[in-house]
Amino acid sequence: MTLETEVEALRKVPLFHGIDETKLRLLAFISDRTEYPEGERLCSQGEEGDCAFIILSGDADVLVATPEGEKKVAQVSENSIVGEIAILCDVPRTATLVAANNMDVLTVSKDDFLKLLKEFPDISLEVMRTLALRLERTTRDLADARRGAGAG
Amino acid sequence: MEKNLFGFIWKYSAKQQIFIILVTVLTYPVVYFLLELPKLIVNDAVQGDNFPRTVVGFDFDQIPYLLLLCFTFLFLVVVSNGLKFYLNVYKGRLGERMLRRLRFELFQRVLRFRLPHFRKVSSGEIIPMITSEVEDVGGYIGEAFALPAYQGGMLIVQLGFIFMQDPLLGLAAVSSYPIQGYVIPLLQRRVVILSRMRVKNVRLIADKVGESITGVAEIHANDAAAWHSADISDRLYENFKIRYEIFNRKFLIKFLNNFMNQLTPFFFYLIGGYLVIEGNLSIGALLAVIAAYKDLAGPWKLLLSFYQMTADVSVKYQTVVENFDPPDIYDTERLTNDDTVVLDGDVKFESVNFSGGAAGQEVMDVSLTVPAGSACAIVGPDGSGRSEVLQLAAGLVSASTGKVSIGEHDLDKLTDATLGREIAYVGGAVHVWTGTIRDNLYYGLRHRPLVPPQREGEDLKNYKRRVSEAKLTMNPVYDLGALWEDFEAAGVDNERALDGKALELLKAVKIDNDIYRLGLQSRFDPSMDDGFADKILSVRNNLADRLAKEPALGGLVELWHRDRFNSSASLADNLFFAVPSDPEITMDEVPDLPEVKAFLSETGFDKKLQQIGLKIAETMLELFSNVSGDSGLLGAYSFITLDEIPDFERIVRVAKSEQQRPGLSEADQSRLLGLAFKLVPARHRLGVMDDDLKTEVVEARKRFLDGVVSNSDQFVAFDPDVYLPTLTIEDNLLFGRARVDRRDARRRIDDVIRAIVEETGLRHPIIYAGFGYHVGVAGSKLSAGQRRKIALVRGLLKNAKITILDDIATGMTEDDKELRNGLRATLAGKTFLYGTSNADIAAEFDQQFVFDQGRLSDKG
Repeated sequence: MTLETEVEALRKVPLFHGIDETKLRLLAFISDRTEYPEGERLCSQGEEGDCAFIILSGDADVLVATPEGEKKVAQVSENSIVGEIAILCDVPRTATLVAANNMDVLTVSKDDFLKLLKEFPDISLEVMRTLALRLERTTRDLADARRGAGAG
Repeated sequence: MEKNLFGFIWKYSAKQQIFIILVTVLTYPVVYFLLELPKLIVNDAVQGDNFPRTVVGFDFDQIPYLLLLCFTFLFLVVVSNGLKFYLNVYKGRLGERMLRRLRFELFQRVLRFRLPHFRKVSSGEIIPMITSEVEDVGGYIGEAFALPAYQGGMLIVQLGFIFMQDPLLGLAAVSSYPIQGYVIPLLQRRVVILSRMRVKNVRLIADKVGESITGVAEIHANDAAAWHSADISDRLYENFKIRYEIFNRKFLIKFLNNFMNQLTPFFFYLIGGYLVIEGNLSIGALLAVIAAYKDLAGPWKLLLSFYQMTADVSVKYQTVVENFDPPDIYDTERLTNDDTVVLDGDVKFESVNFSGGAAGQEVMDVSLTVPAGSACAIVGPDGSGRSEVLQLAAGLVSASTGKVSIGEHDLDKLTDATLGREIAYVGGAVHVWTGTIRDNLYYGLRHRPLVPPQREGEDLKNYKRRVSEAKLTMNPVYDLGALWEDFEAAGVDNERALDGKALELLKAVKIDNDIYRLGLQSRFDPSMDDGFADKILSVRNNLADRLAKEPALGGLVELWHRDRFNSSASLADNLFFAVPSDPEITMDEVPDLPEVKAFLSETGFDKKLQQIGLKIAETMLELFSNVSGDSGLLGAYSFITLDEIPDFERIVRVAKSEQQRPGLSEADQSRLLGLAFKLVPARHRLGVMDDDLKTEVVEARKRFLDGVVSNSDQFVAFDPDVYLPTLTIEDNLLFGRARVDRRDARRRIDDVIRAIVEETGLRHPIIYAGFGYHVGVAGSKLSAGQRRKIALVRGLLKNAKITILDDIATGMTEDDKELRNGLRATLAGKTFLYGTSNADIAAEFDQQFVFDQGRLSDKG
């Protein structure tokens, strides 16, 4: 796979929707292309997060530690970005990621991503917009949940 | 040391000087005949009559006579020039020998300075004294007596001739001499003073430049470059002023000389003309006198310039030598004596006073006894006299009053041979020598050459010559090629055992891991020890087996395979699939080797690689065109640095243009090649390496291996069964590359390698390989902590009766605590003085002496 195919994949990630191609190429170039065989960990809950993962192919299970051991709470798949929270604010990983099958992942390190944001403010805007959308959705979900709880 | 240059020359070369004068005198008759013969040939042989002539009983006709005279002339030409040649070589050799003697004497004197003296002198000043300042002395020594003797003789002969013609004219000829003899020394005296000033000023410049280099980080950290520039510039101006004044005076002297010399003929014409007109002198005599005076000018001029040179060289000599004669210098004996006395017994201070010349460096009225075989702490903060007491105990400095003794012996009366072998001292400021770790570890055992090497044939001849020259110049005859390590002193029998002992101590001070890592990173010459290379190869195989058996591990590595492209390796590695056999040549230099160049152009691969390079350059320019240089993205990820961007923009533009001319220059082409070679396809996913190209590279690789590598011993091909000396030991253990597209592959595979190394017992050999690691200038490639530990092991390896450590491992961490316990265990039964500023650490020792402001304040 070359930069071009990676750019194609990045384009499908909602976070990078409005960003023009040359910048995506740069992002692809400065990220590490990594393969994960099935069962290998991408990251572990609680550890320091220093990079985000953009899944080019394959799926990963999202596991959360519970008193009964690790429990799968979700699955992330192709064209999604995970772990981006860790590179925007300094919080430990909130979940463990394990490759569910053979994966092809672009790893963006925290430093490089921040440098890229500084260098190209329109990427920052795009990231902000996506995060705001997510926040809006979460807020609405929370409100729904409260209303539901109040009604029940 | 001789204060005066002539004293020095006469003392060490009187015999040679007399010989030079004798040979010089021998040339007088030869030169005389050589000048006479042409006259004889013209007047007698060519224009003469009444032949034959009788020469030593043989009769000669005109033609044979001419032949005889001409061949005699030829013979004399050969003899006179031969003598001159011989004499010049002789003088040159004498000068060089005297210079060597002088320089060595100066260096030895530096070694004989007492330690406090080094507070007053700096290396920046001493170095030019020993090297450049005395240089002129060498050229002068050969002429010192011969020139005045020869030219003076000439002068007297010519003057005698003039006086014989007419005393009055003789007086006229020398009339200017008294004036010159008075004025010139007067002017010269000023020049001498200026020369001294100049020499001292240049020394100061050297010192300041040296200091700027040592403190360059400070200059930048404090933005003090302007200040230093102004300072040096000021000194340079000073130098200019002095030089200018010297020039003025030198040329004034020259002017006066020339003027006086041309004034004398004025008297000749006036007085001589008057005498001829009056009839008191024949015209022929006057002409002869004028001719003789012309001959007089040559020697006189040479004598005057010799006088100037003498003044110049003498002042240089004095200005140097006066710095090497401090009144309290140690005897030479202290350095050269090889007799050791055994230092058994208590370390005893009897009302010792010492002053280092500054506040906080004094020791006042200290009396103490450290019993033999005990471990004792000397406690006190910096400036309390603690360090001075330890240095006094090591015999490094001498008490100004009172006595420091060990057993029966007063330390001040002992030589280096005893102090440096019986006492191990490691101070707070350690020095690590430029060289390998091994050199540094065994430094404390290299006192004298012990086992001379076997020499024969040419080698032996050279050695004998070296020794005889050394003897002629009072240099030492120590053999640098000999074995110097004193195994016996270290308590071992041979080098292997010494290595083992060093390893034990390295473990004790906990630096073995560092050396192991350095060992992994170091290169090793398999011709030195075949067994080690074999062991590494067996680990390599072992590792390959494991990788094959465990797919989880195998997936982390891409091993070298002759028929496969290795995406985790650079294009250069992939194409050449070999390394230079000379470890001095790095992989970056390989494309410039003539064989490689020829191969590339032959196969047309250079064009292909240039295309790849061009594509890389284009992509880089496109990707990074909008990135600002200070974001840091450019340096870390691009093949191209910010400075190179305009250059590559031009290269790409030229390459893309349709026009044939101007085309890419050779330098541009090799830059593009360089870019291509650096490409690691798995990391730089630029899409320039498709499968076809990969196959082509593998094809070309085979041609390179068959065509170039197999015919040349310059390269070693990647081969699972061959040790590759150009690669580090680590790279040799893993016959391949950790995959760049797997997370933490390098670290995970390193862990595996480490484990296998431990299993196979290769750890120690690798540490020994680490002994060969070059530590850089004064140990700059080691951390400060590593340098201290190396120095500590150096001290411990001496196995001395008394060990003195100052400010070593004085941390409160568990590591340091363990290290101190280890030290006490290692040194059990020996006298051990340990300097620290921490009372808690001191409490670990049998006995403590507490110092405060130079006085012993407490014992425990």
